[in-house]
Amino acid sequence: MTSDNSTTRQPRILVVDDDSDVLALLAKWLKDEKFDVVTVSSGKDALAQIGITRPDLVLTDLVMDEMDGMALLSEIHRQKPLLPVIMLSGQAKIPDAVKATHLGSSAFLTKPVEKDELIEQIRKHLHLSGDNSNGKIPFGEDIIYRSSVMAELIEQSRAVADSDITVFITGETGTGKEILAKAIHDASPRRDRPFIGVNCGAIPEQLLESELFGHEKGAFTGAMTQHDGLFKAADGGTLFLDEIGDMPLDLQVKLLRVLQDFQVRPVGSVRSVPINVRIISATHNNLEQAVKEGTFRADLYYRLKVVPLSIPALRERPEDIELLLDYYLERFSRKRGEPKKSFSPEALSHLISAPWPGNVRQLINVVDLCATMNKTDIIPLSMVQKALGEEEGDLRTLKDAKHSFERDYLISVLQLTKGQVASSARIAGRNRTEFYKLLNAHNIDPADFRKPPGN
Amino acid sequence: MRKGKGKFLDKIIVQCDPDLEDLIPGYLNNREKDIVAIRESLDSGDFEKVRTLGHSMKGSGGGYGFDEVTRMGSRIESAALAKDVEGVEEALQELEDYINRVEVVFS
Repeated sequence: MTSDNSTTRQPRILVVDDDSDVLALLAKWLKDEKFDVVTVSSGKDALAQIGITRPDLVLTDLVMDEMDGMALLSEIHRQKPLLPVIMLSGQAKIPDAVKATHLGSSAFLTKPVEKDELIEQIRKHLHLSGDNSNGKIPFGEDIIYRSSVMAELIEQSRAVADSDITVFITGETGTGKEILAKAIHDASPRRDRPFIGVNCGAIPEQLLESELFGHEKGAFTGAMTQHDGLFKAADGGTLFLDEIGDMPLDLQVKLLRVLQDFQVRPVGSVRSVPINVRIISATHNNLEQAVKEGTFRADLYYRLKVVPLSIPALRERPEDIELLLDYYLERFSRKRGEPKKSFSPEALSHLISAPWPGNVRQLINVVDLCATMNKTDIIPLSMVQKALGEEEGDLRTLKDAKHSFERDYLISVLQLTKGQVASSARIAGRNRTEFYKLLNAHNIDPADFRKPPGN
Repeated sequence: MRKGKGKFLDKIIVQCDPDLEDLIPGYLNNREKDIVAIRESLDSGDFEKVRTLGHSMKGSGGGYGFDEVTRMGSRIESAALAKDVEGVEEALQELEDYINRVEVVFS
């Protein structure tokens, strides 16, 4: 947890400007307000200082030689997505301000800046990286955890909820990526506007474009009416793009353009429509790998991954399992109006050490299955094993399934031929040498099949 | 306190934040250097340099309490953008006059 930075020492502000007069003035103002101030005159020096002095906030000029404020901002957010950055610009250019906001800037101020306004903004945004316990809005109340790894994730998520920063969630299947996205939306100023989730992998490629961007009447065969699309439907709210890694390449280009211009062009339309949507995307794939392989565009990847949040797998936080089991048993009993059941100590320890390939979603299924099937109040180990076994059976790898089939097949053939290797090999369509190799691989001895039953 | 170069001219009284007392002489000194640098850049036709110097002045003047420096900086910036030599010179003249006459009071 990173909540005690601001209580143990003065908040440290890194000020970046290539104009020494501005730098001196800002430093003076901030020091008068008892901030700890570090000044540098270039983006390059700023990046070096971030690692050394670990500032709580960065205040930077936009226009500078070599590395400008925008490049600095994007590099800072690559390294430290939660570090608040306030931009100062000589000109109030709206596109710059919009771009800066979406790159993760906390505020955009115009020079000459008023001292009071600057100090107010700094104080406001220091709260973002500091203690959030005074937050008025509850965050993700249905996210159950006690582990520090989850606490850190929730803290990061809460910190980014308040802004329009583009968030990118990764996590194995069943870890609750959409639940986290919804929690961020619910804690954001957009909470009274729609939250729309779309699974990019579940919609046929040809339909995805019109689903997202909308289409005009007659844009293609079957387009009988005009359709607004999900970007428009999420106007003022949040659009959650799940399984973004499954998005086809040509659509990736179009999505990139939308994220750059904040406009969408419905299929068959010549006009672009402005949109006001916060994007949260998610994937269970390794997109970095997809970028290397050329199946996912690097420019889109970096535009989406402004704030990366990674949800740990359930097996990486075993201390949460008992809490989750209890929560879902309680939920089950409340839903059914039945007394709450519990797991036997052996069942519990088995559940805590289970691999949980399907994560929290699998855990909920196991709890529901056990609570439904078990007629007594205490759920025994055998029931848990059954519930877990079914889940694992479904998720067996092809290699394991092949191996197990091969073994069963060899046993059947040997039973049929009573352990005669030559006939068995002929039936299996292999020569004797190959057949022996197979038997060795499975540790099967044909002699075992020659013995009369009972011996 | 600054020497009044234009002794026949009226002083321009500007109130500045007493907290900035240490920084103000240096700030005004830097503007004198700017005036020289802008003249040199004009001579060599480097409008981009003129524009940048004007832009910086625009950004810093108000913060120190010199709204006029911000205003003049803005004029220099736009004139340089339009490659308007006369416009730059006019604003520069006014800036020079202002710097010579300004008398800072800290209150």
